Order: sequence, then structure tokens, then C-alpha cells
Amino acid sequence: MQSAASGHDRDGAKAPVLEMRNIAKRFAGTQALDDVSLTLEAGEIHALVGENGAGKSTLIKIMTGVHQPDRGEILVDGDPITIQSAAEAQRHGIAAIYQEPLLFPDLNVAENIFISHQDRGAVANWRKMFRQAEDILSELGVALDVRSPARGLTLAAQQSVEIAKAISLNVRVLIMDEPTASLSAHEVSKLFQLVRDLRDKGVAILFVSHRLEEVFEIADKITVFRDGRHISTAMRQDTTPRKAIADMVGRDMELLKPRQPAHYGGLLLSVRGLGREGVFEDVDFDIHRGEVLGFAGLIGAGRTDVGLALFGIEPATRGTIVFEGKPVTIRRPEEAMALGIAYVSEDRRQLGLSLPMSIAANISLPVLRRYLNRLGLIRTSEENKTAEFYRQRLEIRTPSVNVAVASLSGGNQQKVMLSKWLNTHPSLLILDEPTRGIDVGAKTEVHAMIGALAEEGIGIMLISSDLPEILAISDRVLVMREGRQMAIFDRDQADEETVMTAAMGQQDTAAVASGAAP
Amino acid sequence: MKWLQRNVRPEQIRELSLLLLIIVAVIFFGSLIDGYYTSRTFNRIASSVAIITVVAVGQTLVVLTRSIDLSVGSIVGCTAYFAGSLVAANSGLSPILSVLAAVALGAGMGTINGVIVAWGRVPAIITTLGTLAIYRGLLINFSGAKTVTTDSLPSWIVDLPRLTLFTIGGVEIRAMVALAIAIVVVFQLAISYLNFGRRFYAIGSNPEAAALIGLPARGIVFTAFALSGALAGTAGFMTLARFGNITVEAGIGLELQVVAAVVVGGVNIFGGSGTVIGAMLGAVMIGILEQSLFRLQISQFWLDALLGFLILLAVASDAVILQRLRALWSRTELKLVAKPPQGSDTAGSKRGKAGG
Repeated sequence: MQSAASGHDRDGAKAPVLEMRNIAKRFAGTQALDDVSLTLEAGEIHALVGENGAGKSTLIKIMTGVHQPDRGEILVDGDPITIQSAAEAQRHGIAAIYQEPLLFPDLNVAENIFISHQDRGAVANWRKMFRQAEDILSELGVALDVRSPARGLTLAAQQSVEIAKAISLNVRVLIMDEPTASLSAHEVSKLFQLVRDLRDKGVAILFVSHRLEEVFEIADKITVFRDGRHISTAMRQDTTPRKAIADMVGRDMELLKPRQPAHYGGLLLSVRGLGREGVFEDVDFDIHRGEVLGFAGLIGAGRTDVGLALFGIEPATRGTIVFEGKPVTIRRPEEAMALGIAYVSEDRRQLGLSLPMSIAANISLPVLRRYLNRLGLIRTSEENKTAEFYRQRLEIRTPSVNVAVASLSGGNQQKVMLSKWLNTHPSLLILDEPTRGIDVGAKTEVHAMIGALAEEGIGIMLISSDLPEILAISDRVLVMREGRQMAIFDRDQADEETVMTAAMGQQDTAAVASGAAP
Repeated sequence: MKWLQRNVRPEQIRELSLLLLIIVAVIFFGSLIDGYYTSRTFNRIASSVAIITVVAVGQTLVVLTRSIDLSVGSIVGCTAYFAGSLVAANSGLSPILSVLAAVALGAGMGTINGVIVAWGRVPAIITTLGTLAIYRGLLINFSGAKTVTTDSLPSWIVDLPRLTLFTIGGVEIRAMVALAIAIVVVFQLAISYLNFGRRFYAIGSNPEAAALIGLPARGIVFTAFALSGALAGTAGFMTLARFGNITVEAGIGLELQVVAAVVVGGVNIFGGSGTVIGAMLGAVMIGILEQSLFRLQISQFWLDALLGFLILLAVASDAVILQRLRALWSRTELKLVAKPPQGSDTAGSKRGKAGG
């Protein structure tokens, strides 16, 4: 921050810390960025929003030296520079924090904070390093053992370490790429406090997020990109979420279209006193055919664990499950699948899809037996037929069902995942964070899909941390907190305030309210 | 328990328990073998351990960076034979120059490995499997399958294994053992305290993050292989001094013992964690087994099978035990974080503002 004062342009006015002018970047066949400009001022939180593929990531990669622009200028304090590498970006005071922090799991917290310092000499002074790390973390109000390895830290703690790292480097430009995507509401409010503190110290912050509510909570200025072009930049008070979305998608769109309440049928699933030792307990609920039961709560409230128990990945140890009128025990996923239960997991990459395999192969995988001929070989034509069916029905955007899933965008991968489980013809579909990390357009499509599935009589258990999403498409909302069921609300009783109050418990609500106050 | 968790890392518990196992093994073999607790047994084990340790130090550096060096046995064989022929042909050559020649040849062979892995992008296991065969082939070709004999060596080399530097409580510390200990100390200090040394851990722990902060990953991997080669060269000279007679088979199968030492010593085969001291403890364990089974007149083949078993056991148990320990440790850490830092939310930010 000491050199911030040095930047003056010809008029004598202070030049922006970082200015990207008329940047263009082309990758094989696609224009990722087309004549894009962006200005970051000291002491300002500048949000950058846009659908997937709008060019946000490319711009970040140019700012951090991963990619070189084809055209355009980068200016720091009004002086043109080039950024050839991450180390060079760091020398200019530019640092980035990603959704999944990139720490060294085997190194301790202190070393993670200081690892990228170019000037820390040849010999590591551990004592000094521990002391300085402790100082920085306590200034941030974060309680962490600086001697413990980064392995096993929560995502929120890892992000605190990344922020401490940025502070230790005296960064002047901090890029935050989807920093809140995996945090609970309480952790988000804490992160925002840290971000505001940094801003007050004169750091220019570029905040990239899909969550518009958060953008409008924290940003001073909001820029929208679409298809590699700069669409608009406005002060927060001069724009609205609705306008931002219109800019993002290029058309005026409803914020989140509430689903028409379903006329649901008979009882499908009835759960009483369900629990798993030390994880969750006393969960009671019913799901009817054609009903969407939303599971709201903070990260770690145990919602996913209930889903995992019903699917037999981590079986319940207590309670009863009655499915289609018969009491059942579910100990393994195979048993759940045989009953007609499907689980679409939150983690597309690790649990759900085999990325190098084709769309068709992924979809047929859980029920491969159906596609075998008499010799036990796979009938690829049948596989392709099924994949084509889902490609049309779910509007999966791909040149062919035989391309690798890895080549698809996040939203389309999500649709493949959904296809895969719909193809098991489930009567109960467990959806765990079905729209995390996908853009607004794809999100509405997934919502419409959920509605259509419910119409067909499938019971849906929807686990989501996106509260507006839960409220828009659930028939009833179950709220969990710390492994306990807090309440079930009917659609007309559920609004953001009542659900959040239940999800956070009285005490925490107060804490967040005071924490979020500027 | 809390004290333990605060002051000792799971990895250190791993090393301490290995030390305990070594003591148990010594007591066990002591009860089976008459005259086990003598300086003769100590010296036999120590000179075997010294050679394995020196190679294992280099292997540790390589494994830390998520690679593996299988060519060390061939490098030891080549350098032992080359240094032996060199001093046999030039008996006036100074000891220092002859050692340096062995180290330089080893470093050269390690450099070839390093270039192929770091810049050729060939997986380390394939590269060094290839050079394992190539280096051995070159040795057989150039030596014409002749043997270096003790008679042809100058007396200073022949006497080197028995050269005692000092005696502690009746136990003679021989020069080669002292050299191995010195190498362990120097490299342990280097990877603990030199910023360059910490990079071996960094790129093994998270290569993506290392690339993102601009650590020169290729240079580090290359350095690890070059050092591994140089240390294998050192061990080659030690092998020459210890055995005197060097055939083209010298050092065959050493990679098994070295990888076993490193893995049993708690160096994570997936990179990023482990210590040189741990690898030395692993070498001690293997040296004790080797010499004790020899004394019990159990075949060498059983030793190899036992080493293979130990490698599998160490890697498999690490996956389970170390993970459990880490979970136990991090659970308490999480509690530390989750514990509401009484009002520190606001107090911290105020302090932050005052400071900024």
C-alpha cells in the first residue's frame, strides 16, 4: 500500500491501481474476450458477474499472468506493464483467491502464508514466521494453529489462510473468484467482514460470484460481462439484481420463477426418528409422489447426511424408513437403487461422473446390465439411443452424445448427471445442490426440469444452500441445524426470514446480523 | 492427549513408533542369536546401513517431489566399478579426487534422469526403469564383464572401512558411518530450514498450487534427481571401499532396499511429506533385518520377500493409520477454530483498522 500514492497520471489525479484496456483473447475457435476494459480503484470492491463462458475466468488468468492477451494494455498506477507469470503478477501486488483455495496440505499454516514470498532469504526463520503468521491471523480475528498442517482445515479456514497470505504480501489488487461457493452463511458473513477490512485499508478487490444477493450486499461497483464482452458497469446503488441479470443473459428474465404447486399423490416415503450416530438424529418427514421437499440449512447441518443415509452410502443407525408402503432397511447404494431411489450428488467431478468417458457411457453406467447383449457385450446403439433421448429432453448442448463429459460446461455436465439417474427410472430422486456453480440460464432450466419430474409423479428431496431456489421450487421446506430437524414449513409459510431463523438458531441469527452490519 | 496433539505431529509419532520397533527387533534378534550384542554386529549392521542410508537420502528428495528413482542400484554399480578401475589404473590419484569422480559420475547419471523426467515429461517410474537397465547395460558393455579386485586397489581404500574416527562407550564409529550421519544431518537441515529445501515439500504437496505461485517445478524435480544420482555415486564409492571386489552385479536390487527404507521410514510415496531422518530409521530397520537374517542363515530370497512385504505394509498402513491420526488431530483443530473467539470478530477488525 505504500506505493499507492505514487500513481498519478498527467492530470495529477490518482490513476487507478489496475486498468485493463481493450483486452482481447482468442482460444482455438472462440473469442474468449473481445475488446474488454475494466478499471480497479484502490479501496473499492468491484464485482464482476456473468454467465459461465462470459470471459470472467479468462480475464482473471490474464491478470495473474497465466494467459497473455492477444491485444490490449494492462496499466498499474497508470504505467503500462506486462504480466508474464504468477510471480510477476505478485511483484505488481496482484493476487488471486479461488473457490477451492490452493494450499499445500503438508505444509503448516504459517509456511502456507509465507511460501510465495520471493524475498524471504535462503534460510527459513521458523520462529519469526510463526510469530508473524500469528500476528496476521489475530489481526484478521481468525483462531488457527499456525503450526498445524493445512491438511484438514475447513474451506473457510483455508480461505482465511489465503487472505492472510495476500495481506502478508501487501497486495494492492485482490481477485476473489467465487470465494463463497462452498461456505455456510455464517462463514460468508465473516469473509465479507474481512473483505471490507481489506477495502478500508486501500486494497482494490475484484469479486467474482454467481450469487447476486451477495454481490449486491458487498460490492461498491458492479460490472457485467456477456460472451466475452463488457456489457455494463454501474455503482451498486444505480442498478438492481433484475437489471444485472438482464445484462447477463441479454434478455429480461424473471429472478426465479416460482414453480406451480404440484397436485401430489400418495405417500411415497415416510421416515421416522432417522439418525446416524454423531451425525444427525430424530429426523421425521414424509415425501409424496410428485412432491418436492426442500432441505434448507447451513453447510454442515446434516442435510447431505440424510440423503446419504437414504441412498445407503452412509446408512442410518436408528429410525425407520417406509418406502412405497413397505418398511425397508437400506445398507448399500445397490439396495437403494433396487427400491427406485436415485441420488444426484453435489460433487459432479468426484462422485458423479467419469469425465473422460462419453455422455452415452456415463448415462448407461448405473444400469449397464440393460444394455448388454447375450454375449455380455455393450450394445452401443441402444446406449446412444437413450443418450439421445435425454439430450433432447434435457437440452444437453453437445455436438454428439459420444464426446467426453469433460468437454461440456458445468451446466451441461449437471444435465448428464441428472440423465444418468433419471435413466434408472427412480420413484424418489435425491438432488444435492443441483445448481451449484452453474450459470443463471442453466439454473432456470434445471428448475424447470425438477418441476417436470415432479409432474410425472417422482418424489423429490431437494438439498440446496441456495435459499431462493429452495423457496421457489419446494412444496414444503424442511430446515435442519447441526444434525437436528428444526422445522417443516408449508410453501405459504416459508419465506427467507423464517427459514433462515430456523436454520441458524436464535443466537447465530443475532451474530450474523451484527457481523453483517457495515 | 491435548499436550501430545499440540506438540507432536502424526508424522513424528510415525517415526517414534519406528524407533520403538527397531528396539523391539534388536531385543528379538538378540534373544535368538548368541553374541548379538557385540561391536562386531554393530559394525556389520552399521556399514550396511551407511550405504543404504546415503542412497535413501537422495531417494527421499525424489519421492518428496512425487517421483521415484529406480536407477540408484545401477548408478551405485557403475560408480563403484568406475571408481575402482580409476584408482586401480592410477594408484597415485588423491583420495579426494577419486571420491569426487564417483560423485560426479553419479550426478551425471542423475542429471540424465532429471532431464528426461522434468523436461521430457516421461513419468519418473518409466524413466528410471529404463535407465536402470541402460546404466547396467553400459556397465557390462564397458567393463567387458571384468572384475575390480581388492588386490588392485591402493591400501587407503582397502583400509577405509575399518578406519575408526572415534569411539563412544566401546562402540567404534567408523568413517563411513560418520559420513552417512553427516549427510543425513546436512540434508535434514537443508529440507527443514533452507527455503530451497522447503520447495521439495511444496511441489510434492500440491503441484498446481506450486505452479500458481511460480515455483520452478521442473528445476526442483531435476535437482532432486541430480542429488539422488550424486548421493548414489557417493554410495558407489562406499560400496567399492566396503567390498573391494566389484563385479558388474554390484548394487543389483539395491533400489528395493532403498525404496523400502524410504517408505518404511514414513516418507509419503505420493509426495509432500516425510523426513531424511525417517528414511535413515527405515534404513536401520532394514539393515538390522538383513544382517540378522544372514546370521540366522536365512536365505537372501526371504529377505527380499520380507522387504517387499514391508513396503506394502508401510504404504497400506500409512493410508489407514496416518489418516486416522490426522483426522484425530484435525478434529481438535477444527474445534479450536469453531470455538467462538469471544468477541474477536469485532475486536479483531477494530485492531485491524487501528493497525491499517
